[in-house]
Amino acid sequence: MAETMQIPFVDLARQFRSLEPELTRAFVDVGRSGVYIMGERLESFEQRIAAYCGVEHVVGVADGSAALFLILKAAGIGPGDEVVTVANSFIATAWTIANTGALPVFVDSGADMNIDPNKIEAALTPRTRAIVPVHLTGRPADMDAINDIAQRRGLFVMEDAAQAVGARYRSRRVGSLGNAAGFSLHPLKNLGVYGDGGFIATDDGALASTLRKLRNHGLRNRDECEVWGYNSRLDPLQAAFAEIKLDRLDAWNARCREIAAAYRAGLSNYAQVPEDKPWEEAVYHNFVIRTDRRDALMEHLGQHGVDSRIHYPIPLHLQEAAKDLGYKEGDFPNVESDARRIISLPIYPELTDQEVAHVVHAVRSFFA
Amino acid sequence: MFTSHDAGTTVTSFRNFLPEQYRQTNSLEINHNYLSQQFADHDAILAKIREVVIRGDFTLGAEVDALEEAFAGLCGTRYAVGVGSGTDALFLSLKALGIGDGDEVITTPYTFYATIGAIVTAGAKPVFVDAGEDYNIDPAQIESRISPRTKAIMPVHWSGNPCDMDRIETIATKHGLAVVSDACHAIKATYKGRQAGALGTLACFSFHPLKNLNVWGDGGIVATSSESLSDRLRLLRNHGLAGRDECQIFAYNSRLDTIQAVVARHMLGKIEHITASRVGNAAYYDRQLRAIPQITVPERKQSVYQVYHLYMVLCEQRDHLQAHLVSHGVDAKVHYPVPMHLQPAAAVLGHRPGDFPVAERIAASALSLPVHEFITRDQQDHVVQLIQAFYGRNHANPVR
Repeated sequence: MAETMQIPFVDLARQFRSLEPELTRAFVDVGRSGVYIMGERLESFEQRIAAYCGVEHVVGVADGSAALFLILKAAGIGPGDEVVTVANSFIATAWTIANTGALPVFVDSGADMNIDPNKIEAALTPRTRAIVPVHLTGRPADMDAINDIAQRRGLFVMEDAAQAVGARYRSRRVGSLGNAAGFSLHPLKNLGVYGDGGFIATDDGALASTLRKLRNHGLRNRDECEVWGYNSRLDPLQAAFAEIKLDRLDAWNARCREIAAAYRAGLSNYAQVPEDKPWEEAVYHNFVIRTDRRDALMEHLGQHGVDSRIHYPIPLHLQEAAKDLGYKEGDFPNVESDARRIISLPIYPELTDQEVAHVVHAVRSFFA
Repeated sequence: MFTSHDAGTTVTSFRNFLPEQYRQTNSLEINHNYLSQQFADHDAILAKIREVVIRGDFTLGAEVDALEEAFAGLCGTRYAVGVGSGTDALFLSLKALGIGDGDEVITTPYTFYATIGAIVTAGAKPVFVDAGEDYNIDPAQIESRISPRTKAIMPVHWSGNPCDMDRIETIATKHGLAVVSDACHAIKATYKGRQAGALGTLACFSFHPLKNLNVWGDGGIVATSSESLSDRLRLLRNHGLAGRDECQIFAYNSRLDTIQAVVARHMLGKIEHITASRVGNAAYYDRQLRAIPQITVPERKQSVYQVYHLYMVLCEQRDHLQAHLVSHGVDAKVHYPVPMHLQPAAAVLGHRPGDFPVAERIAASALSLPVHEFITRDQQDHVVQLIQAFYGRNHANPVR
């Protein structure tokens, strides 16, 4: 095993080179069409990805955060409302709630690093309007338990599926498991474009209709503005790229699952590896292992040419932005403990078996 | 002509509703949308985009930095901050100023929806002041609308024609108000020698595909000389992140795509030519159309350099003239027929027809003629002849 092997955490050029002729053709086709805002290319992607996710409607928007924010706005959530979510996520999960005027209410994670359904009810108040489970790292949250609570309490469920396109829970795709779901097409995502992009999946026709207005200045038609809205559209150029990549998504996700299986087999004796429950089909946007010697492991991996990251070192409730929400250290022990122990290993479909073996070897050599 | 759809009439008609101004009207000879022609020259841009993609440099990055520096240089401001769209430029500028719930922002009812959308979605109330004969906010009427809750004036340099900024800035200074310029139409326009980007506390630009300086998707930029506002905008556009992992404030995600920054930098190299073409085309229309009594060409002031994002004149029997032009292959448009105070979304503000008579008169009679750099003199002559024919006058010798 070559000690000089360098394994970057991400390498988007590998994927691009494999698709370059098709992507270039799409670029030229969209360019020549002269339609750079919405139009047929966007609509075509929306229909394809709706069918893929198993939902009635998809609304393309400017990015994954906008997807979450606009869903909450379309659901009528605002000042005086509370929205329950998990304390370990990317910061957008929290600010999209806060920016509607609602109060983000955090809940601890379970062993799967997703929201712990057993702790949700204690966080509910008469002001609670919605639950936002996050399918962190591409692993679906326990949606049956969450939907059961939501149903009993009459709450809206928004999946934060930004990291989880293609993942399945009890054989259904994420995006079809709540009232609406927000997805990201950010370049680093499993289905990534070459700029910011996102989309919303829902079976609710009225919600989709509201969202189509909200993303485009609240326009009912060219000359009539029904509600003052936003400008948050998925560029057709990016939609065209996404549609090309959608044809590969299942194969890419399968390869990520293969790499995850190799990591799991190679590392489970050394660190805590993510489980793969029979009813879950995670897509491994990140492969996160947990160890008490995280920082030292990270340094060791760097010395052996393996780039690693932490997703995320500071939980949402301990961010400076959250200081007015009144949380303190110790409020969410699992989330806080994980934040000190997690490390993400490189995982993308283009990693070779040799590279995967090198990562396994590098981690093992640390613990040996 | 555009047929309006009511929300939810049918799923197919409403699905992915496409405003007409974005659609290329290939059936017309003289189009508003010239993007296919612009795209013919794409090789250099594609090569640079390819480099960005190979480098994986997607979130802001070197191309955005370089564009911001060049753009600030053009405006004569210290900073420029690339964002997701012109709408977001306006919204984030208000947020950077701390404007929100309970505040009021003074603007014109004769504008695009985004001006008002940005104010309302920021949490503030739009307070309208009628337009003047130059189609811009009438400075003489601003002071009467200032209240203790007023925080900013948002003048719109409509069609690329700068507002009377000396008077607006004097009022703003006197009352301690910020000035957020909606310069979405006005790249390279000047007022008494000052670039549009240097007018006001912040100036907001759109790179929408049909703007004078465009990209191939949504994009925008804010120009300002305030270091603190520039820093604030950089936080606001990128999740409030002070580093990779530290979120300083709950903010937004509104970034100019790096590959679109490549397009914008390329277009920046052409903006001199684009602007000169539009100005020349407008002057040519002006000379021809002033001879037609049913057309009112607005006064062209010496103090400003207009850049004609839109070439607009007031016309008798506007709707019929527009139909006549469209039926003869000319993509004449109305920007826009219903002023903001009479939009369904504005019902809560309680305005009635007649509240802003100048804005209403302009909305009822203004027509936009294609003026972009790909229009030829022959095409302009054709447009003028069609207008002459419509009004049934003989103008045997159009002025050259």
